[in-house]
Amino acid sequence: MIIEAHDLRKTFVAKRGRGKTEEVEAVRGIDLAVDEGEIFACLGPNGAGKTTTVRMLATFTAPTSGTARVAGFDVVKEAAMVRERIGYVGQNGGVDENAPGLESLVLAGRIAGLSRKQALARAEELFATFSLTEIANRPVKTLSGGQKRRFSLAIGLVNRPPLVFLDEPTTGLDPQNRANLWDEIRTLRDQGTSVLLTTHYLDEADALCDRLVIVDHGKIVAEGTPEKLKKEVSGDVVTLRLDDLEGARKLLAAQPYITETQTEGESLRAYLDDGEHNLPALLRALEAEDLAIRSISLDRATLDDVFLKHTGRSLRDAA
Amino acid sequence: MLRHTMLFAGYEFGVLRRNLAWPIIGIMQPVLYLLLFAPLLTSIAPNGTLAEALVMFTPAALVMIALFGSMFAGFGMINETRNGVLERLAVSQAWRPAIILGRVVKDMAMLVLQSVLVLGVAALMGLRISLAAMGLMLLLMAVTGLFSANLSYGLALAVRDENGMSQIVQFFLLPLMLLSGLMLPMSVAPEWMQTVAKFNPLYYAVEAGRAMFVDDFTHSTVPIAFGLFLVLGVLTLTWSVRSLRKLAG
Repeated sequence: MIIEAHDLRKTFVAKRGRGKTEEVEAVRGIDLAVDEGEIFACLGPNGAGKTTTVRMLATFTAPTSGTARVAGFDVVKEAAMVRERIGYVGQNGGVDENAPGLESLVLAGRIAGLSRKQALARAEELFATFSLTEIANRPVKTLSGGQKRRFSLAIGLVNRPPLVFLDEPTTGLDPQNRANLWDEIRTLRDQGTSVLLTTHYLDEADALCDRLVIVDHGKIVAEGTPEKLKKEVSGDVVTLRLDDLEGARKLLAAQPYITETQTEGESLRAYLDDGEHNLPALLRALEAEDLAIRSISLDRATLDDVFLKHTGRSLRDAA
Repeated sequence: MLRHTMLFAGYEFGVLRRNLAWPIIGIMQPVLYLLLFAPLLTSIAPNGTLAEALVMFTPAALVMIALFGSMFAGFGMINETRNGVLERLAVSQAWRPAIILGRVVKDMAMLVLQSVLVLGVAALMGLRISLAAMGLMLLLMAVTGLFSANLSYGLALAVRDENGMSQIVQFFLLPLMLLSGLMLPMSVAPEWMQTVAKFNPLYYAVEAGRAMFVDDFTHSTVPIAFGLFLVLGVLTLTWSVRSLRKLAG
């Protein structure tokens, strides 16, 4: 177990102007168990408490209550030991814009205890891995978003940590850069590094991670492998738009091949197995009751459907 | 501890070396004051010579760079509270005070270097002081920088907003400057101002500088100035390191 957290909680005191304060419960009891050598994702909407959780595990923020052991050490009592064994890449990257990436990386390496020579050698190695060699001496502010992100990652890995935290690693990247970064994260895992990442992208959690937790309002609402979670909801989902939403929902819920129905805004989602074969029956049932369909689509269920099932909201809509 | 401080300082020197234009512009202000203001003071100097006016005004010009240069040092750090640099350093193996101290070492070194240049200009204009006076003055500049840079970083980490910080610095800068006898000696001020000035640490820096420039090393303000800025330097460093810890909430 590289991460073990029990009932982590964090309450912030937020200023509300004119001397008033308000307590904000950002994390409300999170348990985590991450195995060595896996990519583990915290999936959730913005404001779910993902960043606060990672910050507590990375010893940046002290938990209000609860305990966590990271790489075998307590994050509060043995923070220094934890820091030696983690890499941390925050949401904003944390690369000094005014200096060349090489300088930041060498400094980070030397703080981690390397000599100047060792730090330079490590830098060369990391720059080769992340295709940064040619831009290593350019001020970071002149680089693209994807290049900056690769520098952040390289800096986070300078001390060869067994565990690396990546807080929203691909936010703001274009699809090509995202795909490249996914490959780099997979390579890390294949070399034995454990990865804990946060994301609000469903496809990212689905494609990249071995296991995940879905977090909402500071709590875990679901946990498992992407496959297991998607199996909880049936394999396919029919999304319908029609006038009599509630009538249609009742009708479909009564059909034997429908496992679950959810209304979400103006659309109705009906979960079923083997959608291709059951769709004609569904259409006939609606027609028999004279329910006019405005639009219909059949898709494979995604983690969004898992999120919808547990929270009643779609992750796409959750703020 | 020392190793980390020097590593951060070395990194900051690198940043400085790549942007040499800014400190050079920074030093123009005291040089202009020397060139354009010191001659005005000849009229109140006992014998009316420029050399006397320079003895009076050069320490003030030096304290001015300490104030204007170092008090704004923290601005660069405000951005680092947002871009994740401080966040990353806070969970690295770095000894936390070194994150601040490394920068302060750079600011102190810059201040001493700028002081040497200002002293050079003053010497060209006719200032004659002993080597001992010059050495002690540079040391005094270093401890003044220790205080004002730490204060600036502490303020930056506590306020974390460029607009707020510039208002606060401006708010304090003018009275601190006028009540230190920086432009004109406090001896020409009315009594109540002289009393208020005694509560301004910069007053002691300016007065100690003036005393040292005439080789009066045992003047009461000399030990007061050194002691005061060392103590204030340690206090403000403690404050800024604590603010760094609070960054995470």
